[in-house]
Amino acid sequence: MSSTSSLSPGIASDAPEAALGRTGRWYAFIRSIPTWIVWLIVIVWSIPSLGLFVNSWRTRDAQTSTGWWAVNVDELTFDNYDQIFSARNSIWDSLANSFAIALPATIIPIAFAAFAAYGFAWIDFKGRKGLFIATVSLLAIPLQVALIPLLQLYVGGAKWTLPLLDKTITLVPDFDLAGETTAVWLTHTGFAMPFAIFLLHNYISSLPKDLFEAARIDGADHFTIFWRLVLPLSVPVLAAFGIFQFLWTWNDYLIANTMVGSNPDAHPTTILIANLAGDFGRNEHILPAAAFVQAFIPLVAFFALQRFFVRGMLAGSVKG
Amino acid sequence: MKQSLLKLLAVLFAFALIAAACGDDDDDASEDTGSEETDEGESSDGDMAEGDVDFGGAEVTITGSERDDPSVAAINDALNEHFEPLGLTVTFAGDADWEANINTQVQGGNPPDISLFPQPGKLADFARAGDIVPLTDEVVAAIDEYWAPGLSSVVNVDGEQYGVPVKSDLKGIVFYKPARFEADGYEVPTTYDDFVALVDEMAAAGGSKPLCVGIESGTATGWMFTDWVEDMMLRLHGGDVYDQWISNEVKFDDPRVIEAMQAVKDLWTEENVFAAGGTISATNFGAPVAEALAADDCYMVRHSNFFAGLFPEGTVFADGSEDAIDVFYFPDINGDGPVLSAGNFATAFNDRPETMAVLEYMATADYAQSRQAKQSAELDGNLSGFLSAAKGQDPSVYQPLEQQFLDILSSADFVRFDGGDLMPADVGSGSFWSEGTALTNGDITAEEAGANIQATWPE
Repeated sequence: MSSTSSLSPGIASDAPEAALGRTGRWYAFIRSIPTWIVWLIVIVWSIPSLGLFVNSWRTRDAQTSTGWWAVNVDELTFDNYDQIFSARNSIWDSLANSFAIALPATIIPIAFAAFAAYGFAWIDFKGRKGLFIATVSLLAIPLQVALIPLLQLYVGGAKWTLPLLDKTITLVPDFDLAGETTAVWLTHTGFAMPFAIFLLHNYISSLPKDLFEAARIDGADHFTIFWRLVLPLSVPVLAAFGIFQFLWTWNDYLIANTMVGSNPDAHPTTILIANLAGDFGRNEHILPAAAFVQAFIPLVAFFALQRFFVRGMLAGSVKG
Repeated sequence: MKQSLLKLLAVLFAFALIAAACGDDDDDASEDTGSEETDEGESSDGDMAEGDVDFGGAEVTITGSERDDPSVAAINDALNEHFEPLGLTVTFAGDADWEANINTQVQGGNPPDISLFPQPGKLADFARAGDIVPLTDEVVAAIDEYWAPGLSSVVNVDGEQYGVPVKSDLKGIVFYKPARFEADGYEVPTTYDDFVALVDEMAAAGGSKPLCVGIESGTATGWMFTDWVEDMMLRLHGGDVYDQWISNEVKFDDPRVIEAMQAVKDLWTEENVFAAGGTISATNFGAPVAEALAADDCYMVRHSNFFAGLFPEGTVFADGSEDAIDVFYFPDINGDGPVLSAGNFATAFNDRPETMAVLEYMATADYAQSRQAKQSAELDGNLSGFLSAAKGQDPSVYQPLEQQFLDILSSADFVRFDGGDLMPADVGSGSFWSEGTALTNGDITAEEAGANIQATWPE
């Protein structure tokens, strides 16, 4: 959305019409072409969401007999929304579960990764490069292959019998986390960490060195530098990562399904929606409404954090 | 800048705390009540009457692929109504992805206590791998008391009973409108020849088409075709050949199997079939077919008992009124009256006493009837789509149409289980579907389809 508005000056050139001349007008036209293309893409990409939104207000008969573009006023109804909010397995509970998963899974990686990225970027310690490369190369591990081992770890812990001594030590205790939302956000947190560290490191290491030297001379230690200098300057990248991580965890089905699939009290909205249609599609007509509720929350998160993108990255930092 | 950052962080942390608290609350609460119940249970143990069991706040979880709101509610309510006084909490979770999840849960060491298997073939795989446990003698006794051997023996693996039948489906029934038949001078066919003659007569009359057919079902497109073929196999060649066909002693490229597939294909001609989606394989098997029958686009639909639940709201069944929909038995060929059924089987992943107690109750007519009553109450008296062939149920919990289903199911002495569910998954939910769809589309002949399916049968 913001990208289109920043392009829009291309259409409205404020130079007077007379001064432009033939080539000037031609040039203005050429310059406006990307804007039109972007608008076209926006429209094309918005159509499915629009169709979903329109259908979410239509009766079952209308949805099954005609397409959403054939909408007319008499077939609009509140019933679909009423049904998903008032049903026995109401969407409220699963929304709460989704928050219980998505918020820790967004905030915890950001907090840890910001510390780690600062350490990797500005604290000189032995093996820093190797450790950083090792961390970032974990990006290459696909999450899917780790799901069942992780589930086993949550269910039974990890024990190791020492080869010769015949003694078993517990490496990870048996937390019995399967079926709890904790298992879901813990998994998300772990898998978000390499990318979060990588992204934040790139940003934090590119902050001007002078800043840190000035802070040092004023007597700041690492924690003060991190807390009063690095964090405020990194808001745009923290917000950017936060949005991506929130969207990804909010819309996740696979991990939640593996970890809490057998406990209906811990189902997030994605699983609720997957089960909503029923065995033979009896309730297919309430899917658009539920999907729209599910999509609405990330939109709110996106627009609420949007201004952190737009804000100038280093605006006023050197002046203090 | 700094202040707004702190505010942002504060708000986010507050949210996280609230969310974490929300998430934990339920768990704490349930654990607390759980332990309290345990205490009460232990302390009141002495007061319990002799023979009464108390489970002291134990919990049993059940998963299954049934996930319709009314079904989930009815299963939970029926079980808890019985077990709550005994200090046992039962949770049933419907799962859209049950087929994959049950494997993951077993591998991850986190299986439910009980799961409802729709395919005896899959159940047998689990039994042989040692993932599920054989039922105790008490449960087997309950099964013998309430269920016909033909319906329970499909989940007897190597001499041990592993599954409790908890839901029955009846296939091979034809939905039609009696009043419309009467008005147009058609009669319900009693032999397969009559049925074919009736179809030809209707097609020649040039009004609405004789049949509505749809086999589209997303990734499972084609299973409706396999149902038809199974019905034809039973009718053409009898039970023994059918059993041999399922174990692949009679191969898919055997002339008898090809004859059955060809018989289906011969009925599904353009003159005979109304397909709401343009072609048969582009028409969903469910609601569009039901709507077409209700709207008089065709005369007959061969389907299963659950089809009754897919009609538009306000459709009436078997009450003699003008638009009422009724069923007749898909006629047989050799006069032996075969019945094709399907169903769900409850299996145990452990032999804890409470798990077995729940299974024992699920085998009874009492459970079936209680679930049916609750399910139709959830649906305000509409057809529930649930059916159980447990003996000794009060028939009044079923509507007249459902009673007809039960009559067909319980009076049959020649019952066979859905073959696709018994075959290995590569065939039964793989090539049989896809090649059947290709045959329906006219891309290949019945001979080619048979050969292609046989080629995918695992060694």
